[in-house]
Amino acid sequence: MAAQNLIETTNLTKQYGKVRCVSSLHMQVPQGAVYGFLGPNGAGKSTTLKMILGLARPTEGSITLFGVPVNDQNRIKLLADTGSLIESPSYYGHLTGEENLTILQTLKGCPKEDIDKVLNIVRLHDARKKKVSHYSLGMKQRLGLAAALLGFPKLLILDEPTNGLDPAGIQEMRSLICTLPEQYGITVVVSSHLLSEIDQMADHVGIIRKGELVYQDTLEALHSHAKQQIALRTDQPATAISLLHQDGIAVEKEADYLLIPMIEDAYIAQLCRRLVSHNIALYRVEKREKSLEDIFLSLTGKESSL
Amino acid sequence: MKTLRLEFYKIRRRKVWLTMFALLSVQLVWGLWSMRDPREWELQSGWMSLLYFLSLLDGIMVPAMMSVLASRLADIEHKGNTYKQLEILRSAGSLYHAKAVCGCIIIAALFAVQFAFFIALGYYLGYAGNPDVKYYLLSYGLKVAANISLFLLQLALSMLFANQMIALVAGLGGSMAALLLMFVTTHSFLPWGGNLSAVLVWSEWDEATRISTFCYRTFSPVETAAVVCIFVWIVVFYVGGRVLFARKNI
Repeated sequence: MAAQNLIETTNLTKQYGKVRCVSSLHMQVPQGAVYGFLGPNGAGKSTTLKMILGLARPTEGSITLFGVPVNDQNRIKLLADTGSLIESPSYYGHLTGEENLTILQTLKGCPKEDIDKVLNIVRLHDARKKKVSHYSLGMKQRLGLAAALLGFPKLLILDEPTNGLDPAGIQEMRSLICTLPEQYGITVVVSSHLLSEIDQMADHVGIIRKGELVYQDTLEALHSHAKQQIALRTDQPATAISLLHQDGIAVEKEADYLLIPMIEDAYIAQLCRRLVSHNIALYRVEKREKSLEDIFLSLTGKESSL
Repeated sequence: MKTLRLEFYKIRRRKVWLTMFALLSVQLVWGLWSMRDPREWELQSGWMSLLYFLSLLDGIMVPAMMSVLASRLADIEHKGNTYKQLEILRSAGSLYHAKAVCGCIIIAALFAVQFAFFIALGYYLGYAGNPDVKYYLLSYGLKVAANISLFLLQLALSMLFANQMIALVAGLGGSMAALLLMFVTTHSFLPWGGNLSAVLVWSEWDEATRISTFCYRTFSPVETAAVVCIFVWIVVFYVGGRVLFARKNI
């Protein structure tokens, strides 16, 4: 039986004035997954997550959380089982880390002991009596994660959680996120503009580009798109194509090159001999690898950062 | 209740009370200075003159105090980007309501302290008789209402705009407007004129004797409408602020 989707959006759209930030988004986040929400800066990731959390009103479309369609009446109740960290961490600088968490613990109605537990998880227990304005950016980010973890919700939504962290902090945050589904049964949605980051954390991925979800599947399926090809450059591409077709080989033309699927070395040698025997000059035979980055770029556009 | 209790928890170490009482203490020092060494005719009408004096002081200083109070309550949320976290757990309307009620409680406490101090000062100076309880209670109630209306206006601005300069400039502009109104009219339908409209004691200055005589004010229909207007502003600013805040995209 397929796992229940904790989040499902249908035709989700957000328009500010004439600008359409999110367009007809159909997002599906399975229970127990670490769902990587990937896209270049300004693609609409944060807006989508804000709509899911009820912080922005969708122009069109609907959202289902835990199998229940969200509306104004049940939004707060449904979100009670959700933790979130959107863009930058939220905090009261004049209060201590512990006091900040006390506010949220009271609002969430979860046990007071949870404060100590989450402070230990994010390794802020020793700094709990310190004013948050005196925290480093990394500590504030960890406090934000602690706040999101309070009450150990079923769903955690993290928007670029590694922003501003140093490399060690990034690594630590990644490891922590990866352990959440198994250790606490938390489904995680984590957004990022970095493919490598999502590649290391997520098992499901959704790629958004200019407000449109251009890809959504398991990370494994995305990896399977990373294919290898052989590129040939000849003086007579048209003749070469017809010869390859006669041998039942699929050919794609890309600029001066003919791209054929990856084949064994012996078959390549045979193919080369056949082309030369038909007086076709063979200038180059290259191995082409379409990496995950290439796929990401082809999905999101060349201008995207990785 | 929980959200309201948290509002007071959140303003710990923000010195909101201290700020308010610091501003109030300026009034008190001003009062001590101008009421020192009263003459016999001043002692006779002391309790009435005190209400008049307080209205003057409040008209000048309180609009700015209200903008400071609203700003102190709202900017903790803007500074820490906390609305996006709070609005997931509570509706925007209930967050707004908690802030509004928190401010109203502070205002009520502030004026209670102000009245208590000045009444104690009146007894110390030896004002004749006792304060008229009815007028003092009415004056307290109207003063609290007039300043709640101002506070709610300021709160709406402070909650809607992260840049607190907008609200503070509006507050200072309001203070100026309130001061000018005192010179030209006995009442005003403007929100900043509430402190003027709610004055219960009037003064008549006799140039020949150089003595002010005080009397309780009789309200004309227009002046009564101006007092009612204070309560209309309270509803308008509360509902308007709450609706606009709830509609705001975080």
